[in-house]
Amino acid sequence: MTDPSGTALALDAITKTFDGFRALDAAHVSVRRGEVHALLGENGAGKSSLMNVAAGLYAPDSGRILLDGTEVTIDGPLDARTHGIGMVHQHYKLVKPFNAIENILLSDPGERYGAAIDALTARVREVADELGFELDVTKPVGTLSIAEQQRVEILKVLVGGAWILILDEPTAVLTDAEGARLLETVRALAKGGHSVVLVTHKLNEAIDYCDRITVMRGGRTVDTVEAKGISQSDLTTMIVGADVHEQRAPSQSIGAPVLQVAGLRAARGDGHIAVRDANFEVRSGEIYGIAGVGGNGQTELSDALSGLTRSLAGIVTLGGTTDITDASAEERRENGLAAIPADRHSKALSGTLSVADNFAVGGVLRGRFGSWLRVRRRELEQAAGEAVEAFDVQGVRSLKQRAALLSGGNAQKLVIAREFSGSPRLIVAHSPARGLDLRASAAVHERLRSARDAGAGVLLISEDLDEILLLCDRIGVMTRGQIVAEFDAPFDRQSVGEAMIGHG
Amino acid sequence: MADETAGMAGPPKAHGLHRFRPRLEMRQTTSGLRTAAMIAAGLAVGLGLSALILVASGVRPGDLVNEFIVQIFASPKNISAVLVQAAPMIIVGLSASIAFKARFWNIGIEGQMIFGAIGATLVATFDIGPEGLRLPLMALAAALGGIAWIALPAVLKLRLGVNEIISTLLLNYVALNFLLHLLYGPWQDPVSAFPHSEQFEETERLAALGWQSLNASLIVALALTVLVTVALTASRVGYLLNFVHTNATMARAVGVPVVLLTLAAALGSGALSGLAGFTISAGIEYRMTQSFFIGYGFSGILIAFLARNNPIGATIVALFVAVLMVAGQSLQVFYQIPFAMVQLIQAIIVICVAASDFFIRHRVQWLTG
Ligand SMILES: Nc1ncnc2c1ncn2[C@@H]1O[C@H](COP(=O)(O)OP(=O)(O)O)[C@@H](O)[C@H]1O
Ligand SMILES: [Mg+2]
Repeated sequence: MTDPSGTALALDAITKTFDGFRALDAAHVSVRRGEVHALLGENGAGKSSLMNVAAGLYAPDSGRILLDGTEVTIDGPLDARTHGIGMVHQHYKLVKPFNAIENILLSDPGERYGAAIDALTARVREVADELGFELDVTKPVGTLSIAEQQRVEILKVLVGGAWILILDEPTAVLTDAEGARLLETVRALAKGGHSVVLVTHKLNEAIDYCDRITVMRGGRTVDTVEAKGISQSDLTTMIVGADVHEQRAPSQSIGAPVLQVAGLRAARGDGHIAVRDANFEVRSGEIYGIAGVGGNGQTELSDALSGLTRSLAGIVTLGGTTDITDASAEERRENGLAAIPADRHSKALSGTLSVADNFAVGGVLRGRFGSWLRVRRRELEQAAGEAVEAFDVQGVRSLKQRAALLSGGNAQKLVIAREFSGSPRLIVAHSPARGLDLRASAAVHERLRSARDAGAGVLLISEDLDEILLLCDRIGVMTRGQIVAEFDAPFDRQSVGEAMIGHG
Repeated sequence: MADETAGMAGPPKAHGLHRFRPRLEMRQTTSGLRTAAMIAAGLAVGLGLSALILVASGVRPGDLVNEFIVQIFASPKNISAVLVQAAPMIIVGLSASIAFKARFWNIGIEGQMIFGAIGATLVATFDIGPEGLRLPLMALAAALGGIAWIALPAVLKLRLGVNEIISTLLLNYVALNFLLHLLYGPWQDPVSAFPHSEQFEETERLAALGWQSLNASLIVALALTVLVTVALTASRVGYLLNFVHTNATMARAVGVPVVLLTLAAALGSGALSGLAGFTISAGIEYRMTQSFFIGYGFSGILIAFLARNNPIGATIVALFVAVLMVAGQSLQVFYQIPFAMVQLIQAIIVICVAASDFFIRHRVQWLTG
């Protein structure tokens, strides 16, 4: 029954509509045994939907699914599992208070709990060792880092017997180093005979780690190509339909400091001191980048500066004179600070509220849409409509639509539209392009540049060195909660990179 | 595996169950119409199940229609009984809605009602203030009593992170024992020597409206509905509370004064509960009794839940609950159906409406083959 071409999984002419909206239009992809297959495409291209069809979550309206050349129907996630297909979703499906073993057991409860647990623990340990996963399987999953939770998800599908592994944007939530480790693991799996589908936005991942690449656009398959020898700009053209190329555009005029940070100390939620004695300043008209390997205090710095957490020591000054060290988020904003946090879904948007409300909350707080007694709805919606237009937020069918429905890039554009509406003096942006497709991240970068050119100071905290090198006028490298080195343009990639790891 | 698909061509094999398979998909969007239809369907199923249970326990189907529809809606006396019953229900429903909107889980509605009634009774018994202002003063004292009883849990939660579910719940018992202390002690009715306060004078009662037993407590309730609706849907406070409700971290990050708003919502909830105590004492019983508050805490939570914290919705649901109560009373009297059955029916309806949420969030498809 084996397909001579070695095709493990083929999805053929898959069409899927949601309440009349055609998300997949005769899409197709075929994955060989022992290959890593990249699936590329902008947000909303239909990558997750197509993979959900293979994983048994969506029933296609039409089309065929073939495993080893034989047509099958997949009746649900459990059925996909018996067919050897396992998927790790963009949003993890784990029970937080349970440990790894219990979570894995949940996906296939055996006959007797006690016996199952023992057998499973041994099996999970074995697979984890094979993959070189460092993981405490006895700790509640909720206390693990994102990378560790992802390992639990991967173990879950592998222990479940999957030979075809689908990873939906697995590196979007990881730091560069964690991502590279994951991709090494993926290669090792393919060597052992697994087939892996890797959904990603990062072209270099597709080119460096994958065998073949399938590109999707607007619910259709554009083409499948060999990864060897293809260039980034070829791929970009396939993905977007045009070449998007970002270029450096240094600042023309740099002014007085808008943010001065001296001896800042801040802790993580669990009390661990993550920012210790950070010293730097951001001037008006410049983008100051904080580079560094993830987990060196970036999130805590961003939270402390935006007022989400209290700083323990140090002095933070805004606009040269205003001491905001102990100010609340409200007061900071009144003084001209805007923030674009990395975790936009939990810290910058309320997914169940409307696009209009998410845009307007900043204005409402500044008293722009009426008094305490009355919010002028009509005016608010009009302003939201104009902002959606001006910031090119796409996929807004109605201003009353829930913000959670926006794709990553459009959600981020909405956040930026709100944050920039108060003409801020200082913008604190943490990984603003994380998880965004090419075009959306270029748009976000353009916004940051134009805010800078209008005279704002921009603090860009990013674990993506390419992004830092592309955008910044000055760079500080953060390691273990301290700025250990600073660089002026033009930058030497090598020496910045060395500073990031050298002091570790 | 392979022959399962091969089976499609020939006659179905042993697994006939496989021919019609349900398949669930998460929905990303749901129209308002579908939401309303699903909730209505949930309600209909709940009512149907309740009817079956009542029939099974000996009520004839014809009588059921008679008790619930004909008797209630054809008799002015019963209509007014429902409306009188509804007034405090509406107010506790509003109280729960406003607290839940800020994710302050106020389980202490009954304790706050008790302190509301104590405040009102204090003004009434000691004839505080001029007669003309007596009722407004009683209302004010009731609101303050309710606020006083929720202030401690609110501050404990916002300052020290003490779980308000526990603190408001336990304070109910403290309030109840303090009430009993008053009614068996200093405030015992000197006339009858029963454990309730002395009767309120004419000027201390919510006026009758001149139609059946209806009195001004309904007007108070409707006025509060308007007030809370404006506060929650038109004002900046309500607008910002939506953010506190749906994502408090984000709210804090964009500068919403989360602590202040939560405090305001909690105190508002306490004030409303206190006023509910006032409408019962000054509008129905004309004194403070030892059991006037029983069941309102649960009803308030239930009303807010079914109404999804919407004040107008809460008013409608409260009316519905009042119908159930009044019909339940006659079922008790004429069919010896225990009161627990009324509570069971309430619970069934809640479960059915809650379950309708599943069909709002998911798309169920039937696959053949
Ligand atoms: N369950 C669903 N209900 C309605 N629309 C959906 C659903 N799943 C996906 N879509 C829509 O289908 C399109 C493709 O989405 P998706 O497959 O998630 O894209 P990608 O993973 O490539 O970013 C989007 O427009 C999305 O809104
Ligand atoms: Mg996706």
